[in-house]
Amino acid sequence: MKRKWLLTTLLAGLLSILTWGMPREQVQAAETYTIGTDVTFAPFEFADKNNQYVGIDIDLLNAIAKEEGFSVQWKTVGFNAAVQALEAGQIDGVMAGMSITPERQQKFAMSDPYYKSGIAMAVAKNSSIQSMKDLKGKRVAVKTGTASADFANANKNKYGFTTVTFDDSNNVYQDVTTGNSQACFEDFPVMQYGIATGVGLKVTNKTPYEANNYGIAVLKSHQADLLVKINAGLKKLKQNGQYDKIVAKYLGDGSQASQAKKTKATQETDRSFLGLLKSNKDTLLAGLLETMELTVVGILCATVIGVLIGLLGVVPNAIAQGAATTFIYIFRGLPMIVLALFIYTGIPSLTGAHIPAFIAGIITLTLNEGAYTAAFVKGGIKAVDRGQMEAARSLGLPWGKAMRRVILPQGIKIMIPSFINQFIITLKDTSILSVLGLLELTQTGKIIIARNMEGFKIWTMVALIYLVLITLLTWLSNYIQKKVH
Amino acid sequence: MTKTRIEMKNVHKRYGHNEVVQGVDLKVEDNEVVVLIGPSGAGKSTVLRMMNGLETTTSGEILIDGTDIAKAHVDIDKVRQKIGMVFQHFNLFPNLTVLGNITMAPVELGLMTKAEADKEGRRLLDVVGLADKVDARPAKLSGGQKQRVAIARALAMHPDIMLFDEPTSALDPEMVGDVLAVMRRLADDGMTMVIVTHEMGFAKEVADRVVFFGDGKILEQGSPAQMFDHPQHERLQGFLQKVLEA
Ligand SMILES: Nc1ncnc2c1ncn2[C@@H]1O[C@H](COP(=O)(O)OP(=O)(O)OP(=O)(O)O)[C@@H](O)[C@H]1O
Ligand SMILES: [Mg+2]
Repeated sequence: MKRKWLLTTLLAGLLSILTWGMPREQVQAAETYTIGTDVTFAPFEFADKNNQYVGIDIDLLNAIAKEEGFSVQWKTVGFNAAVQALEAGQIDGVMAGMSITPERQQKFAMSDPYYKSGIAMAVAKNSSIQSMKDLKGKRVAVKTGTASADFANANKNKYGFTTVTFDDSNNVYQDVTTGNSQACFEDFPVMQYGIATGVGLKVTNKTPYEANNYGIAVLKSHQADLLVKINAGLKKLKQNGQYDKIVAKYLGDGSQASQAKKTKATQETDRSFLGLLKSNKDTLLAGLLETMELTVVGILCATVIGVLIGLLGVVPNAIAQGAATTFIYIFRGLPMIVLALFIYTGIPSLTGAHIPAFIAGIITLTLNEGAYTAAFVKGGIKAVDRGQMEAARSLGLPWGKAMRRVILPQGIKIMIPSFINQFIITLKDTSILSVLGLLELTQTGKIIIARNMEGFKIWTMVALIYLVLITLLTWLSNYIQKKVH
Repeated sequence: MTKTRIEMKNVHKRYGHNEVVQGVDLKVEDNEVVVLIGPSGAGKSTVLRMMNGLETTTSGEILIDGTDIAKAHVDIDKVRQKIGMVFQHFNLFPNLTVLGNITMAPVELGLMTKAEADKEGRRLLDVVGLADKVDARPAKLSGGQKQRVAIARALAMHPDIMLFDEPTSALDPEMVGDVLAVMRRLADDGMTMVIVTHEMGFAKEVADRVVFFGDGKILEQGSPAQMFDHPQHERLQGFLQKVLEA
């Protein structure tokens, strides 16, 4: 009786937790469009020192929206995640310094060009490489899915170099400054902006290769409304001079000197460890909070599911056991990042249903950590001497009562260390959910670094925060463990 | 007229290709004490465990007080409430106190209130000579004490039948006497008992009937006097010789 009640409460709690995460992601009030963009693609989109997203793309579309009377909800999820989310119909459009290509025009509705760009080849400051001819046998870093990457791949046989791809611009630059790669290809204005911000590279070509145009991609179903508004708004902004103002705000006259000046306005002045900690305190705290929220909700859901599936795995019934084994096999076998992307972008592209990133993250944690939990719950129960079950059953206790009064109390003791271990793993695994664009601690770190390029100091801060969290969680677990014994 | 408590009819049990019980017919009457003997692997434990459904049969019938326990409509838990079982390795519940071990089942099954069960539990502990161990943890007891608690635990359900599977085999020799004394008293009080044991002296003394198993079959059965003093079957003769030499 008591047990049923407990179960009902737990399930009700689970539901309310799941729905509680919903409203902040729930969008689509009339005339609000969700637009995906890159985490960092300065000067087109990046977080300034107050962690506000700014840049040419952001300002431009916001101005267009104002002009045309709609509003924009930005989702900074990274270029690839944004394109995937658009393919899955999770969002309405993508504006992320995206070149207009025939493939994209086929898949999406592309706006009129809003910025003329091209490709820069950058090398380390002290490098002797001057042009593509010097790249024979060298390694070139590019960002996945970009026009620069296409360009590099189209030319690598001709010039005899190999390519390596990264998800973030920052990692592309880093690979060249550390000497792992000898050059990188990047959009011209982006590269210039990066160098002005302090990236230790230099551009080798005066004029861009493969001059191309940036456009905004929207769902084909929005061809008649959103696309029309965007094109109309863009035209107006170009006519009334606002367009030039916005571009000048970020690029000045296009020279590096003027960019450096602009950069200062968006960057921290104190670059010491403490200075950076102070100026990024609120951002890091927000990330920490999101990580804790994911961890707590994740642990709760995973524990409930794990215990239920684990019990299912020891019920004397072949179908129940088969179901539990299959669940464990699948969700323990899948890499968590694959599971997360499958749930967030895979399922919606099939069913058309929206899944908010937070919910997708919790479902991922629940399934993955739940599978591990189920495995050790099942193992813990099985580790109890089988004579215990026989003795309980020989007294006439039904299976469930024997389980609850005799087997579980002994099994739980066996499982406690595994539970603590699993809680810590869950905390660490929330970092994987950064691929969904969730602004948890790791993603926060990535974004800050993408702006100020202070990888060592910021990752040290992030690592220390994780260690503190894990220490606290371990203490709490040990305290609870003592109470149980 | 006496009442038949247990009746096995042509019972077989196979594990894969290994037929470990090969057509056993056995009746146990009310108040009767039946001792099962035989070499290791003969199937004694399997037969005993089939009597309360811990082991299923491959074919044949097992009737408890006239009902076939393999029938779908039979509530095996209800049947087991009336059949106590004592295991070679005690199987006390380490998460409960000695008294908790005894009272848990009757309370959990709603047969007694907590207070009634506590009172009955204390009485039974007194009977088995462990009144001072009420609140002890099973881990703190000697083997002989554990086995006496296990007997008290089974008795708390007020069973009609008690099954014992080598209850003294895991005990140090000096502990065996205490446990056998408790069992002897049970027999004297008229409990229906089926006992698998290698304690031949005890069998001789308390058994109404001794049943000799070999290779999953009953090879010979009879009164202790018949079986021990005038064994007919060659295998029984050999078995007794070996056991008495040891
Ligand atoms: N779960 C099982 N799976 C397969 N074979 C089993 C199983 N349980 C028992 N057996 C086999 O059945 C045969 C009879 O076993 P059983 O335990 O009934 O013998 P026993 O007469 O009680 O022997 P002992 O004196 O050693 O306890 C043995 O050969 C044993 O290996
Ligand atoms: Mg045996």
